[in-house]
Amino acid sequence: MEEMMNKILNIFLTFILTAFFATSTFAATKVVWWMESSADTDPTVQEMMCDAFNAEQDEVELECVFKEDINDTIRPALLSGSGPDMFDTPGASYIKIYQDAGLVKSMQEYADQYGWQDKLLGWAYNSGVFDGELYSIPKNYETMIYFYNKTLFEENGWSTPNNLEEVESLAAKIKAKGMNVYAYGSAGWQPTHEHLVGNYFNTYAGPDNVYKALIGEKKWTDPEFVEAIELLRKHMVDEGYWSGDLETYYSLDWDDFNNEFATRGSAMLMIGTWGFNVTATNFGETSDDWDWNPLPILNSQAGNAPNYQLATGGTMSINAASKNADGAAKVIDWILSDKERALKVTGSLGYGAWLLPLKYTDADFDPNIDPRQKRFLTEFAEASDSGNYGYTTWTFYPNDPGVHIWKDMEVVWAGDITPLEFMEESQRLWDQARADDALVPVGKR
Amino acid sequence: MPKFLTSINAISWYFLFPVIFIHFFVVMFPSVLSLLLCLTDWNGFGRINYVGLENFQELFRDRVFKKAVKHNIIWTVMFLTIPVIVALIIAYLLTGIKRGQLFYRLVYFFPYILASIVNCLIWRYIFHPRHGLGGWFENQGIDFLAKSPFAMKETALYAVAWVDMWHFWGFLVIIYLTGMYQVDDSLYEAADIEGATKFQKFRYITLPMIRPIFVLSLIIIIIWSVPTFDYVYILTMGGPAYSSEVVANHLYSQAFQRMNVGYASTIGVMMFFYVGIIVGFFAILRRMGWEV
Repeated sequence: MEEMMNKILNIFLTFILTAFFATSTFAATKVVWWMESSADTDPTVQEMMCDAFNAEQDEVELECVFKEDINDTIRPALLSGSGPDMFDTPGASYIKIYQDAGLVKSMQEYADQYGWQDKLLGWAYNSGVFDGELYSIPKNYETMIYFYNKTLFEENGWSTPNNLEEVESLAAKIKAKGMNVYAYGSAGWQPTHEHLVGNYFNTYAGPDNVYKALIGEKKWTDPEFVEAIELLRKHMVDEGYWSGDLETYYSLDWDDFNNEFATRGSAMLMIGTWGFNVTATNFGETSDDWDWNPLPILNSQAGNAPNYQLATGGTMSINAASKNADGAAKVIDWILSDKERALKVTGSLGYGAWLLPLKYTDADFDPNIDPRQKRFLTEFAEASDSGNYGYTTWTFYPNDPGVHIWKDMEVVWAGDITPLEFMEESQRLWDQARADDALVPVGKR
Repeated sequence: MPKFLTSINAISWYFLFPVIFIHFFVVMFPSVLSLLLCLTDWNGFGRINYVGLENFQELFRDRVFKKAVKHNIIWTVMFLTIPVIVALIIAYLLTGIKRGQLFYRLVYFFPYILASIVNCLIWRYIFHPRHGLGGWFENQGIDFLAKSPFAMKETALYAVAWVDMWHFWGFLVIIYLTGMYQVDDSLYEAADIEGATKFQKFRYITLPMIRPIFVLSLIIIIIWSVPTFDYVYILTMGGPAYSSEVVANHLYSQAFQRMNVGYASTIGVMMFFYVGIIVGFFAILRRMGWEV
């Protein structure tokens, strides 16, 4: 009986030990990723990224957790030394703060191991390099363009504008028809103003001057920047280019201004490339056709060729406290390794999200892609490769000057301060950020 | 077991302990920490550098903070007058209604139980220049409310306060009504015999009799006006051009947008002192024998 009991015990222990070692040896490493939530895109991302990754391999199990206001959520999690293995941030300026605090892991060894620098567009890779090491990778890139109602333009014999004179002449014709020049509004997202400030800096003062100011070789109080702000003030307040007047611009939200554009309330829509999807959808419900163009150059010192402002819309990083950093790196490498899959994912999202800054070629595109969309992707790649690019405030500004640029723009529009006073305050905040070593990386131009 | 451990006094402390424990870690400790942070330049993540009173000096130079303080004062004055007067009148009128009073109470109280985001969306829609009243008037050929009052710097603060007051005065109606029901009917009967008018009864009987509740409501309003935030944040984010910026909104912007947590703590400390002064003021009045 005793022998029998011993046998049973042996079998039981062998089973337990085998099970234990088997699980610890062969179980997939679990990687948790907190992503910025968006009701429109979450199901697609879950299916085409997270589930697809898990289905393709069994080394790493990826769990995607979608969070509202990711920056407010991730901050206490990182500070407490816990949090997910991977996380999103709204942009590089946040990464700088995390890096200073030692909360984000350097991915340089993984970048070298997997060759990420060769896969990503140069400027996009550099935007995540701090003190010579890679800390973040953009999840999405975007730039500012303008859409226009092609049918309306053809009906009226209007040409798309290329310089300030043409912009102002066209605006007068559009207003004479009882329409607004551009549809836009800031209700629901006050930082919308910075899109316009960035546009005027890059198309009036020019990307070279913006670059010099970003790296401290020029002052933000120099005349070209002050004049750019004055021109924006004139177009917004005196001319009412955006949705008719300043107050209406403050009152319209995303749905309002997109509908206004699609229903001929406005002739053009100056917006980021995230507007492709909604423009295509809204115009699909009308008999009008649409197209897009790069922003017109408003001053000769901004160059002759159109420039595309560089912008990253969200980044991905690895938590310094993660015990599964290798697994997280494998997830990132899987995402960056297949351009066709990457284009398929972003195509499903209307190219408004998850447009990874990879080195796409013509061969990577689905033959059914909208030619207008394809034109953007190829032209942007060519322009940014040949140095015709500008800088968005939300990617290249540190926090404090970044908030000032949109929050205090309203004060200029209200007439409470002059453009020069506005830029003086901007310069003061830049000096402070430079002294605090809070600047975000700007690749050499 | 020693007797003092089982005394009534000790037992009451046992019951209080969990609350004190939680209060210490959730309220006291962060408050003290905030007091210390106001002397630093912490950005919420990394190194904490001691900067002495630099944040306080900056605060007194900060034009947005000064504007926000002024707006908080205007806000408090508006809340101490408009909803109080409206609620007093409605509560007094309601005491005269015998049938269907519950319905009216529900109607007045309903906005108070709605989430602030719902109230804000309702009013944003009402004042929307395209779909709201402005659009409707425009279709009738009348140029009225063509621009949203939330979008004009002259009216933004008052428009936001209006929405908050609309949601708040139902609460005041209920507490005033409760106070009025506790007034002895014989006082009104005596006044009737003397030939007192409705207004005289309200002025000389109702108001003095509900004074403790009335004063309490004023204290609540003053204290609650200091950290007012949600309606401003949802409707205008303090704009346009800081015309509706209040102190809590400025604090939020400094802490979570500009990442100046040390400076934001300084603003928080100023709010704390302000509330302390108000509470102290009422405590002194009570000591002087005022029924507050």
